[in-house]
Amino acid sequence: MKLVIGLAAFVGVLVWLGIGLFIAQGPQPEIIVPAEVITKVGPLNLTNTLITSWVVMALMILFFWTATRSMKLLPTGAQNFAEAVISFLVGQVEEIAGEKNGRRFFAVVATIFLFVICNNWFGLMPFFNAFGKHEDVHHHVFHELTSEHPKDLTLGEDGRYIEGNGFGGWIMDGDGGLIIAKPRTKAIDFEVHEGETPGEAADRYIVFVAKHFAGFEATDEELEHPTAEMVAAAAATLDGTDGHPHLLLGEAHAADDHGAAAAHGLASPALHQTITGIDFEGAKKFGLVIPLFRGAFSDVNNTLALGIVAFLCIEFWGFQALGFGYLKKFFNLNGVNAFVGILELLSEFIRIISFTFRLFGNIFAGEVLILMLTFLMPFLFVDIIYGLELFVGFIQAAVFALLTLVFAVGAVEHHGEDEHHEGHHGEDAGADAHHAHGAAAAH
Amino acid sequence: MGSWMVPTAYLLGIGWYFATCIILGVVIGRWADARTGLEPVLTLAGIVLGLAVAMVGGIRMLLPFMRRFGTGPTE
Repeated sequence: MKLVIGLAAFVGVLVWLGIGLFIAQGPQPEIIVPAEVITKVGPLNLTNTLITSWVVMALMILFFWTATRSMKLLPTGAQNFAEAVISFLVGQVEEIAGEKNGRRFFAVVATIFLFVICNNWFGLMPFFNAFGKHEDVHHHVFHELTSEHPKDLTLGEDGRYIEGNGFGGWIMDGDGGLIIAKPRTKAIDFEVHEGETPGEAADRYIVFVAKHFAGFEATDEELEHPTAEMVAAAAATLDGTDGHPHLLLGEAHAADDHGAAAAHGLASPALHQTITGIDFEGAKKFGLVIPLFRGAFSDVNNTLALGIVAFLCIEFWGFQALGFGYLKKFFNLNGVNAFVGILELLSEFIRIISFTFRLFGNIFAGEVLILMLTFLMPFLFVDIIYGLELFVGFIQAAVFALLTLVFAVGAVEHHGEDEHHEGHHGEDAGADAHHAHGAAAAH
Repeated sequence: MGSWMVPTAYLLGIGWYFATCIILGVVIGRWADARTGLEPVLTLAGIVLGLAVAMVGGIRMLLPFMRRFGTGPTE
């Protein structure tokens, strides 16, 4: 019987893996570190991570408002859950900071913990990083190539690119609204090289697109340094085939959202014409999905903001408890303590960086891992990683809140209190030993 | 949180703090070296400073931990 169950489980795993690998496999994802801008509100960028954090905030406020709207002496349902969470957190905070300080720090520490854990777990929902608006990469490429101050690309005084930059995307099905990645297609990258002019890049891009979309034959060497004849042949191949991208040549073509950039066009040295864009007709689109939701703490701006808030709260509590005497911890003229004080001052600021990159690194790495495994080994391995990420999300929230609390306790302690505590600890240890001895004797 | 969770979270936090101090020292040192052409003097100074800050900050973070979880030397 055990053998049958074991065999059934093995076959089940294989089938699950097979379905994932051969049926549900998607295109390769493009990893983008900065948060994607969904829209602009005046001078401010509204990013997907910001939207996520607002949604989480709204949900948390809604939950706690619902739970505490009509409080009962004997709690049930949402109130019961909310009270259980809060009393658990109060207990933990008071255990570490003592009752008086614990109550003072509780609001900030618990808010940090709940906000971080809700964001981390919310970011594991299946609709995260999955749908949103899409951006045609050909527009993106032309925007980057033609705009005067492209984001990561600099044109030198001699008209050549100073830094290289890669553009990538994947073939998409459909042409607007919600985009579902077409399964089993390959991601392709086009890279602009250092020392290249925009015209040379445009020529290479024509051959590159013709090779990938219209089956134009070109070796790697030819792709890197195409001759004028080859560029012309590639352009003709693109124009002569239905359902493949077509070059938009000649006059400025400003009928799209990126009109300003496209209107400039790129003068192709090989074709002696200005390329104003590439029109991807038919079902195959070449674009990037800009997800509407992305884990809030996979954006370093949000983790930095939270780190700065924690830092400011800690310093505020320090000054509140000790007044300007708090500064004596850092500025001390007593021999070696002067040096140690400066190191402590540095360490206060390094905490912000440490807070920032600890949370960002863990959450971003988790997202990348899930995204890559979803595409490489769908279903089976990604389930295991989801379990791991649930744990990481909790641990990182606990680490952030706990360290804020411990630093706050350190900030309100009088200087030299450590030694005092050590003495007490010694006495406690002595007392414990005494009790143990007594217990052994009684036994 | 389970009894093991608080010390785990705490020590994970301290580990990251050590790493941040040292990496930051190296990065700032390399940047300063590139600006001044003194390579590798400022990188080394950055490493030493990073280690020193990590040590002082680490001791400050570990003392309350030892008070709470440390069992002290056994005879």
